[in-house]
Amino acid sequence: MISKKTAEAVLLCAVGRGAEFAELFVENNAKNSVSLVNGKVESANSGIDRGCGIRIINKERTVYVYTNNMSEDNLLKLASEGAEAIHGNTRLKNIVFSALEYDKLYTPAVMPDSVKKSDIVDMLKTGSNAAYGYNKLITQTRMGYTDSCQNVIIANTEGLWAEDERVRTRIAVSAVASNGSEKQTGYFGPGALKGIEFYDNINIEAIAGEAARSAVTMLGASNCPSGKMSVIMDNGFGGVIFHEACGHGLEAAAISKNASVFAGKIGQKIACERLTAIDDGTIPGSWGSINIDDEGVKSRKNILIENGILKGYMTDRYNGRLIGMKPTGSSRRESYKYMPVSRMTNTYIAAGTDKKEDIIADTEYGIYAKYMGGGSVDPASGDFNFAVNEAYMVRNGKICEPVRGATLIGKGSEVLLNIDRISDNLALAEGMCGASSGSVPVCVGQPMIRVQNITVGGRE
Amino acid sequence: MMDIDALKNQLFEKAHKKGFEDCELYYSENSHSSVSVYKGKPEKYQNSQSGGFCFRGLYNGRMGYYFSETTDIDIDSVIDNAMANADITDTDNKEFISEGSKSYSSVKIYNASLDALSMEQKLETALEAERAALEYDKRIRPERAAVSTGKTSVYIANTRGLELSEKRNYASVSVSVMAEENENTKSKYELFVGNDIEKLDPARLGITAAKKAVAALGGTPVKSGSMKVILSNEVFADILGCFLPVFYAEEVHKGFSILKDKMGEKIASDILTIRDDPLIEGGFASCSFDSEGTAAYSKNVIENGVLRTLLYNLKSAAKDNVRSTGNGFKAGFKSAVMTSATNFFVEKGNKTLDEVIKETGEGLFITDVAGLHSGADRISGDFSLAAEGFRIENGDVTTPVDQITIGGNFYDMLKNITAIADDLKFYASIGSPSVAVKNITVGGL
Repeated sequence: MISKKTAEAVLLCAVGRGAEFAELFVENNAKNSVSLVNGKVESANSGIDRGCGIRIINKERTVYVYTNNMSEDNLLKLASEGAEAIHGNTRLKNIVFSALEYDKLYTPAVMPDSVKKSDIVDMLKTGSNAAYGYNKLITQTRMGYTDSCQNVIIANTEGLWAEDERVRTRIAVSAVASNGSEKQTGYFGPGALKGIEFYDNINIEAIAGEAARSAVTMLGASNCPSGKMSVIMDNGFGGVIFHEACGHGLEAAAISKNASVFAGKIGQKIACERLTAIDDGTIPGSWGSINIDDEGVKSRKNILIENGILKGYMTDRYNGRLIGMKPTGSSRRESYKYMPVSRMTNTYIAAGTDKKEDIIADTEYGIYAKYMGGGSVDPASGDFNFAVNEAYMVRNGKICEPVRGATLIGKGSEVLLNIDRISDNLALAEGMCGASSGSVPVCVGQPMIRVQNITVGGRE
Repeated sequence: MMDIDALKNQLFEKAHKKGFEDCELYYSENSHSSVSVYKGKPEKYQNSQSGGFCFRGLYNGRMGYYFSETTDIDIDSVIDNAMANADITDTDNKEFISEGSKSYSSVKIYNASLDALSMEQKLETALEAERAALEYDKRIRPERAAVSTGKTSVYIANTRGLELSEKRNYASVSVSVMAEENENTKSKYELFVGNDIEKLDPARLGITAAKKAVAALGGTPVKSGSMKVILSNEVFADILGCFLPVFYAEEVHKGFSILKDKMGEKIASDILTIRDDPLIEGGFASCSFDSEGTAAYSKNVIENGVLRTLLYNLKSAAKDNVRSTGNGFKAGFKSAVMTSATNFFVEKGNKTLDEVIKETGEGLFITDVAGLHSGADRISGDFSLAAEGFRIENGDVTTPVDQITIGGNFYDMLKNITAIADDLKFYASIGSPSVAVKNITVGGL
């Protein structure tokens, strides 16, 4: 994609006005997508993203330029224009690259480009048929498939030369149930940092059937009540609460600007004592995993909170330096079009010791949130919100009728202290996380937890 | 960047040899430059050039696509991949390649003076906006102020003789600040988007962001219940933008919008008129043609509460036996042709916001919502969103409200509109005045 000679020339040019550091991120990303609506292929698309981003850093100042004209002349021109914005005192004459060595977390068995497109369509149709077959109230289905094979080279003025190939694939399964006057949707989106062999080990019919069941269940549901109450959140995508309420506030970009309620709180108790939370980029084949981050730092397992005490932040090179912390293998970007910044990978609340049945049995009144939707947060205030896709009332220790339209809101710093039960059934679930460096694949996760006194916004 | 003519000729020639019927080349180029400041100093500079092409063509009556960000690519592989994509597409999903419209309205979307704006001027603008925000109140801390400008061009050519191109430029200026008092932090931002940057007063932008943040400090929840609320122009635009696809014929055909068979029926309050107008000078989504080469024109979607038209591309128009409304857009050059609104807005009413507040008497003035991507169900119309704003008591805006949710149903809300103010403002391509609505469920204490 780029020769070492060209990379050296461009990097030297980028620091030609004395900046301390420059980095190249070169990318070639081959992508495929297929979308099936109501059992028919609506569109199939594929193509190549290719380009290069050049980052120059001096003290607190950064320049980022990118292009998909990869000719050496153009890269040199952009690098020298970028260099003009930052003058410094560092002088660099040459760069000796040494290749970063690391073990891959997972080796894909079946590359996306070796699979017949008709096989993908057949798989999607199987899912669609399973959803329709679940119940005649299912009136629409939407199935999406994507794969990508992203090859990157990351090189910098410190002599780093890192190469990586990231193969990912994901399907999106939605089923819509209608009863004439109204419609409800069930959705799942499993994916992995794997090749097409990923689909050998998941049951698409079962996933589509579950989406259909969820849609049909919510069709008959009454509106969720509003007010403060206990909420039991089931495992898997329930972990979105930690991702939004806390995870974003532990990213170094928010910490370095003191734009997080968790800034300056390392070593302090920020959550209930039984809560341990981890960001682990090294889970083999997991959707949110990375071999190396987008600055060429090996991924690792980072303990964020241990027994309620804040242990660390997720840190990238630039913001890490501002707060005096080393990179944690957390620097990510959607593509060469984004400057990398600290982000989450697979983030989860570790398993506790409670039993799921006990948590429910011990709850007098509240909501049981079986499946969560997405959410968002303002890290500065810690105000978060997220949606519940499938919920039930809980009365006297029993799960009762389904309710719909619930949104949960709160402040991250408060909700962490209000988690009072943590079960032992940890599971992860896949999602996309959007922030300043674009949309990146992540997993959220948790065992079943109970949060006391959280604001539930319903329509009653 | 690329020699488009040569690329076009090679693609069309190879495609015909391999059995493609009508073909199209869609080419786009973008450049962008920005500076952001923090605490009175430049923090980040960005500069970019990007673009690429998308080939699409009909093969055995099915449309196949392939895109690339580079022309350093084997033409045969482009055609073969497009063919493989066409092969698996269903035949009754018919897309068209068209010779285009007879004539096109022109709309001013390029401001040459914007190109002359230097990096130093952008830096000065960002610094001025940040400075004004910080000087407004001691409780304000900076987060980021940024100025960026960009240019984009599109070019469409097809084998039916269509050849169109258009270029636009834009500027955006944003200020984000935090207000802090007694462990309470509120972060707010204010954004300017448009190509008439001459009209921008950076200091006022900074002050507006600071004012919003300070005013929101110390907010408290209200008791849960059903009440009258005024949704600020920004909030109504946010919600309208979220539910916009329900007005796309494509979504109706697929069963994802409940506006099926509602044409000519009253679906909203008499006082509501919603317009899709691609011909607004300098508008964020203004254009003279869509991604299929159909001429863009202005139309009422809802007129005094009555649904007048859905938004169509060529495919959905053929299904309903009507003409495309010029809303067949790609989401970027790589994407398939879908449907998109242009400048989509609620017509302003004839009362001032103060008058609407006075009339409301008791209720809430909602100034922020969060969670639209997750807390709103486009298909059912249900929404439940985190919200902030102020109490309305005795016809006056009083104390700040925080940590509440507002819930309702989009379709019910359209019918429950009781007043529309005259403060129409565009947020990128979606515009709205402040709107008073009854029967909104508020979740709080």
